[in-house]
Amino acid sequence: MDATISFTLNGRAVTVRTDPVRTLLEVLRNDLGLTGTKQGCDLEGECGACTVLLDGVPVRSCLTPVGKVEGREVLTVEGLGDPDRLHPLQKAFAETGAVQCGYCTPGMLMSSAALLARNPSPSRQAIIEALEGNLCRCTGYARIIAAVELAAARMRGESSPDGGAAQARPIGGDLLRVDIAERVTGRTQYVEDMPMPDALHMRVVRSPHLHARVVAIDTQKALEVPGVLRVLTAADIPGENSIEGYSKDETVLVPVGGTVKMVGDAVALVIATTPEAAQAGVAAVEVAYEPLPALLDPEEALAPNAVPIHADGNVLSTFAVTHGDANAALAASDAVVDVTYRTSYLEHATIEREAALGYIDEEGRITVVSGTHEPHWHRDFVAPVLGLEPSQVRVIMPPTGGSFGKRQDPWLVAATALAVYHMRRSVRIAYTRRESFDASPKRHPYVCRYTVGATRDGTLTGLRLRVTANTGAYDSGGYYIPNYAIVAGGGAYRWQGVDAFAQSVYTNGPKAGQMRGYGTPQSNFALECTLDEMIQRLGDDPVEFRLRNAIAQHETTWLGYPVAESLGYRQVLEAIRPRYQALETAARAFNESERNSPWRKGVGLAGMWYRFGKYGIPRVAAEAELGLDGRFVVYCSAPDYGQGTATVMVQLAAETLGVSRAAIRLVNADTATTLDSSVPGASRATYWVGGAVCRAVTALREVVAAVASEMLDCPPSAIVLADDRVMAGGDARRSVRLSEVAAEMERLGHSRKVTGVLDLRAQFPNYEREVYTPHFVTGAQVAEVLVNTTTGQARVTRVVAAHDVGHAINPRDAQGQIEGAIVMGLGAALMEEFVPGVTTGFSDYYIPTAKTMPDIEVILVEVPSYQGPFGAKGLGEAPILPTAPAIINAISRAVGARIREIPATPERILAAARRGGLR
Amino acid sequence: MTHYRIAASVEDALKILEEHGGEARIMAGGTDVMVDMHKGKIAPRCLVDITRIPELRAISVVGEAVQVGAAVSLAEIHRHPFIAQNVHVLAEAARSVGALPIQTAATWAGNIVQAMPAADGAIAALALQAEARIVDATGARWKPVEMLFVRPGVSAVDPCRQIITHIRFRVPSRLWGSAWARAGRRESLVLPTLNCGVSLRLHEDGTIAEAVIALGPVAPTPYRARDAEAFLRGKTPDAAAFAEAGCIITGDCNPRTSPARASREYRLALIPEMVTQALEAATRRAENRRSQS
Ligand code: FES
Ligand code: FES
Repeated sequence: MDATISFTLNGRAVTVRTDPVRTLLEVLRNDLGLTGTKQGCDLEGECGACTVLLDGVPVRSCLTPVGKVEGREVLTVEGLGDPDRLHPLQKAFAETGAVQCGYCTPGMLMSSAALLARNPSPSRQAIIEALEGNLCRCTGYARIIAAVELAAARMRGESSPDGGAAQARPIGGDLLRVDIAERVTGRTQYVEDMPMPDALHMRVVRSPHLHARVVAIDTQKALEVPGVLRVLTAADIPGENSIEGYSKDETVLVPVGGTVKMVGDAVALVIATTPEAAQAGVAAVEVAYEPLPALLDPEEALAPNAVPIHADGNVLSTFAVTHGDANAALAASDAVVDVTYRTSYLEHATIEREAALGYIDEEGRITVVSGTHEPHWHRDFVAPVLGLEPSQVRVIMPPTGGSFGKRQDPWLVAATALAVYHMRRSVRIAYTRRESFDASPKRHPYVCRYTVGATRDGTLTGLRLRVTANTGAYDSGGYYIPNYAIVAGGGAYRWQGVDAFAQSVYTNGPKAGQMRGYGTPQSNFALECTLDEMIQRLGDDPVEFRLRNAIAQHETTWLGYPVAESLGYRQVLEAIRPRYQALETAARAFNESERNSPWRKGVGLAGMWYRFGKYGIPRVAAEAELGLDGRFVVYCSAPDYGQGTATVMVQLAAETLGVSRAAIRLVNADTATTLDSSVPGASRATYWVGGAVCRAVTALREVVAAVASEMLDCPPSAIVLADDRVMAGGDARRSVRLSEVAAEMERLGHSRKVTGVLDLRAQFPNYEREVYTPHFVTGAQVAEVLVNTTTGQARVTRVVAAHDVGHAINPRDAQGQIEGAIVMGLGAALMEEFVPGVTTGFSDYYIPTAKTMPDIEVILVEVPSYQGPFGAKGLGEAPILPTAPAIINAISRAVGARIREIPATPERILAAARRGGLR
Repeated sequence: MTHYRIAASVEDALKILEEHGGEARIMAGGTDVMVDMHKGKIAPRCLVDITRIPELRAISVVGEAVQVGAAVSLAEIHRHPFIAQNVHVLAEAARSVGALPIQTAATWAGNIVQAMPAADGAIAALALQAEARIVDATGARWKPVEMLFVRPGVSAVDPCRQIITHIRFRVPSRLWGSAWARAGRRESLVLPTLNCGVSLRLHEDGTIAEAVIALGPVAPTPYRARDAEAFLRGKTPDAAAFAEAGCIITGDCNPRTSPARASREYRLALIPEMVTQALEAATRRAENRRSQS
């Protein structure tokens, strides 16, 4: 018996008939179609994405039974403003870069709106307190807080610079994101928001065991659950039960007789008419398991008599680099540091959970809409599972609530495609947060043993490095982790001898895969901390030491070849030197004057180089078209999961053509309409796909100019492009509309669509040997940390980050990426840790909140690239690398003892403080 | 389906409870009840929303006591000028529960009935020696909050038959101060590794007349450090006395290791630091109040 509940929603009276104990969140989204309000956790109050205002007060709509709102006023993001009439907060969020993926944005806006209604002049502290319950994984919070300050100032009537942003030049100006008005008004439809009334619902039967043999699967009871239509097991896979194109040993569904290798391994798919029925069906599937001994520690998995988790044994992959004679170099050193560093499993913790929507498109293709880094790759991985040709499968990238590598895993696309294949109907799935933690790939935990030598005068000599990476149950795109571990692990330094070996080892922990920086942050952390130990041993200076040992631009590196692009490491270190010195001096003074307090201030420095080189063939294509309506259309595959790639592509095209952004339409990341870029990582999109886009629009401009010059009777070189027309010279009277040019091209039979290719094959003929082209970016960061030596609590008060980004296409977005990476790195340094069997979700996996945020200063060191579009380089991932080691170096220096395991929890810091003799 | 009833008065709420014979449940903000229902821990047939009962919506001074209605949200508590300026232990504990959009709905009484060993509101209530007014079919009575905890998650108040209508504590006296200390794995939106509430009353000569110290989670239920309190009585409030109090507590209580938060050893190491920190702050405030009056 439903109840009738009447309330005011965004200023209008509404009445719903429903179960009054359902959450307001569900009723808003499902019954009232207001999908701007998001769900980021399992209705447990842990994320804040669902925040709405109830009588002007911010509440968690996931904890509010709808019966409670009877007779009251509810305001959601849709009611705050609309794209044509943005609320000052929405406008400020758009202009300051407070929105990356936008998934936290509605909740942030509502919390901010409540604050400003109570307090028109909030202090920074008051803003932080108002927002501390809203998690954001992308921005690092700084820009959100700046946006609230800006909106508050404007609402008080104080004049403040109004967003001239939209008029700025396409490149180098701080441009608004292409789809920003939709994002800040809750109009953007992420997968879960897309209406598909008849869609079936899918849930997954997952292993509760770390390691077990599947003896039998009985689906009978599940099929008797009302609403359950089908249960799919491995036996229902028409093609190959494998996603080996991505993960060499991973099944889609573990078959009877096979083994589950981790908690969360998928055994069956239940498809039903409602999510509840699907869930009940999952509970009713009976799987008989025979438990097997489980291995969680890679050292144990390497033991000679260890149970093999995969048939070929427990080593997934190895990589080694030998350069010079490391032993001799170490033997000839005045000082040798020999230490072991450890890192933990980390979770991406995007605020959007994994979700997919599958259907059969108008051309009969099995189509899946789901977050991805390269839809073509997902299509190619999935087609063999269905026994189909890639052309019979389509993958589309929707607006996505963050990735950080997580969305490279094709499993969800494969499972959804399989369900659509069998049901011939649309099917949707959304993970629970718990499921996302259990089943999604993690960052590899590393054990890194470093043996580093140096001469008395501070010159590095030899490096011996052993890395063991825990890849968990599966490859999961982690095959090249040892390669990345070593390349990052030697750094941008000149070594006389290197002996490095890394291996990726199976355990029954969660599968480890792609995560921001792919295998590099862990070894860079260990390297930069080890170097700091050496620097302290020698009494040297962290900046000078690194400068003295930095690789020069054209020298052959310890990898055996020179780098392909400008390497700004020296410039970065020079840029950060004064900041380091100032903070270091201030910390000394603080520790002197506060000698009797438990607080100690530490300052740490760390550097990095990060390879954004391309895997496979160094050739990328994109297309550009002149539409019949006279607009330019760019077709490329550069998925944007929040980092702003789509905006960058439009900027590059606009700048190249000399038109405004409004004249460009972007078609992005859809296998049916765009070319394969084979560029699956954010940091590579600008350089590689952007390079192809620039070439495509350049070619298109030539074709357009040639046709227009005939029409205007002038030489092609005299042609000037405007947004909607083409002129002869600067003469507006001698012009034709672009739509007319398009019509003329049609008439002449000229193709209006051209392809542009960035092709560096000539430059890298033996790319096969190198696997990745040697493109690197560099950076360095200084962290200032306050440590309480009696409780072990640490607070990062300040981070200064200097990064060589080449020429910044969108400086504000570049800074936003760096801030987000720093706060994510801070999480890894101090609080984040996924413990198998313990961690369940946001309630016990601690990501930074607004309160954790340090003051961040970003210095963009623009050392133009030789070959990137307008001098750009790759950026998205690299800035996470120096953060953790800078913070850990700061803490270790503050407490007088080394911390060699992250996260540096208060417990570990307190233990170090005691070792350091501070207590 | 679960019914949802918005009670108009305490009598009305009691009547609904009675009608359902123990299968209806009192709910205020719902921030715990909803989570427990989703997890299948509870399955009431009816939720009785008490947040619109006018008499439960106020913070008032009644005689010698500050009385907080059961429908007052934690946000209303920590924003209340008198409490924010005079009852730090309560204001800061209220500000520690989850985050603001939870504090706007959650209530002090609800936090206490949840009976978790480190419930911030429960620890603050102990430090204030607060009492709860419990009403059921047999009548109304005041009971010390300290008596309401049976074991982790189990309260002596049965929300299916009883209602806490108010919580009260003594109006702060002249030489009185309170403080709150809390440690967690991050600075907000996190359960405590350790929380500690204290209140302190001084004699005119500056020695301690009465100290009340509460901690969580160091025992199965919210913990009151009676031995340390007794030790402090009559002592000068200085570092040595506080350190000794910390030692007494460390020796007496029994924290557990929780893998996602902290080890037993770390909690034990933290106790003296946090107790000292809280006692120092409370002393400072008590002395300030003397100089102000
Ligand atoms: S969905 Fe409400 S707090 Fe996460
Ligand atoms: S922008 Fe905040 S979660 Fe992505």
